[in-house]
Amino acid sequence: MRNLLKTDLKRILKDKLFLILCIIGGVFALFNPLVYKLLFSALDLEETATEMGAALNVSAKNLFFSAFIPGDNFGLILPIFLSIILCKDFSYGTVRNKIICGKTRTNIFLSTFLSCAIVMCGVILAHALVTLLFSLLFFPYQPTPFHAKDFLYLLESVALEILVYLFIAAFLAFLSVFMKNMGLTIVMYVAVAFLCALIGGILSISLMFVTNQTAYSVLEFLTKSNVFLGTVIGQGTAYAWRDLLYVILPAVIGCVGFIGLGILVFKKKDLK
Amino acid sequence: MEYVLQTHDLSKRYKGRLVLDKVNITIHKGDIYGFIGENGSGKTTLIRLITGLISANGGDFALFETPNTSPAISQARKRVGAIVETPSIYLNMSALENLKMQSLLLGCTNQERIKEVLADVGLSELYNEPKKAGNFSLGMRQRLGIAMALLGSPDFIILDEPMNGLDPAGIVEIRELILKLNREQNITFLISSHILTELSLLANTYGIISKGKILKEISAEDLKKECQKWAVIEVDDKQKLFQILREEIPVESLAPAANGVKIYGNISLNAVLNKVIQAGIEILSVNCYSSSIEDYYLSIVGGHHA
Repeated sequence: MRNLLKTDLKRILKDKLFLILCIIGGVFALFNPLVYKLLFSALDLEETATEMGAALNVSAKNLFFSAFIPGDNFGLILPIFLSIILCKDFSYGTVRNKIICGKTRTNIFLSTFLSCAIVMCGVILAHALVTLLFSLLFFPYQPTPFHAKDFLYLLESVALEILVYLFIAAFLAFLSVFMKNMGLTIVMYVAVAFLCALIGGILSISLMFVTNQTAYSVLEFLTKSNVFLGTVIGQGTAYAWRDLLYVILPAVIGCVGFIGLGILVFKKKDLK
Repeated sequence: MEYVLQTHDLSKRYKGRLVLDKVNITIHKGDIYGFIGENGSGKTTLIRLITGLISANGGDFALFETPNTSPAISQARKRVGAIVETPSIYLNMSALENLKMQSLLLGCTNQERIKEVLADVGLSELYNEPKKAGNFSLGMRQRLGIAMALLGSPDFIILDEPMNGLDPAGIVEIRELILKLNREQNITFLISSHILTELSLLANTYGIISKGKILKEISAEDLKKECQKWAVIEVDDKQKLFQILREEIPVESLAPAANGVKIYGNISLNAVLNKVIQAGIEILSVNCYSSSIEDYYLSIVGGHHA
């Protein structure tokens, strides 16, 4: 398993696409804070940027957490690039080398998932941190002063984001062994991400008009548990247990479910 | 005798179509097993089954005496190197990077082994070459694939159409490499090929497959006996000729032909023709023939061809 994981990690990190991905991540990390800054300058709000930022809900904290949103900007590009790299094992037929030399299909799938998860979490964390650093050049971290409990909240939020990306890595690993095809994997992922983000967006708007308590609770759950929307993480100053549950439960169930399903599918798949 | 692979009634269906039908083959240690069959006969399917790429619908097999249903089959597979259809290489990496990836996968730390296998397949010049495998010729990819199969020093190497894309010099090199590895390291080979004459220079056992069925397993020695030489002598007096020849040549080596006699085996034609001339028989024609491995293959497969 260790050899498999080392091979998969090396394969991903040595791919040119990974380098391109890192460059795109860096560009996006610069792009978002800069756009807001330029917008403020263009509107001649330079001197009141801090106040305006607060009024427009633009803060380094918000930009930091928006960098994680899986259905948006870099959060959408990252899985697309990784699915291309993952599927190369099938398109080049190199997955056969792993089976021929005696690696079990369970280990091969787990290694695919783990390598994808490690790279995905590493890259998105780096991207978000660079976004935060650039954002801090133009905006305050948050409108209110920074306290110790904010740091704890930040750590909690990052842990939740990692959980969300573990779910996405499991979903991608499943898609790659299920489809065994680069194009189909990307189309499926983008379609699911867009659909979830779209439905989530509609549901979150409909929340404003729902008066029935039960319907509200159901809609709230569906909105907040939508990992592609990112409506819960980093949006406040502390987590209610219900919000934690909304994020943790679907991410953990989804992650475990896709890993189990992926192993099952891969064990039954004939490889050409 | 120790065997490396033994299949028992191995069957495989693809979308309801039976592509392997109760296949039974046995490969002994040290064999070079030539696997012969037309396109779509089931050669690659059997290789895929053995290497674990696909699962069987019926029957079983044992690799190094380990049943395929045993969890220990993974350990047995570590002793196997294979190329299935096309070499499995990362096209975006150089030859050295590909071999490094394979050695990482195998947990092989000896970097000298990479140099060795590259030299074995005649690709030493690629050790420091940054050129990506995607830009290699088909022959170079094939050689690199063989190098990757050799990297883990396997006891059993499966090569599916290994001569594909190789130039004549490459074919000779790979043939010599296979013979050398078999002779010096007692490595067992399973080689499938369409080029039967090429296989006949390598294999010591043959398996002939057609439409998913093994039609014949035969040793090279027996095949040689089957692939006989014969001569046809046509004369003006067939009866007299037959009479003379019966005194000189064993009856089982003779058979009647249209205007003469067929003589099988390694029999001195000079001596025979002298006798015929001395007997005053007029010779109309003398033709020599030999049946090749292709003829033998066609005679076996003939009835099974569509």
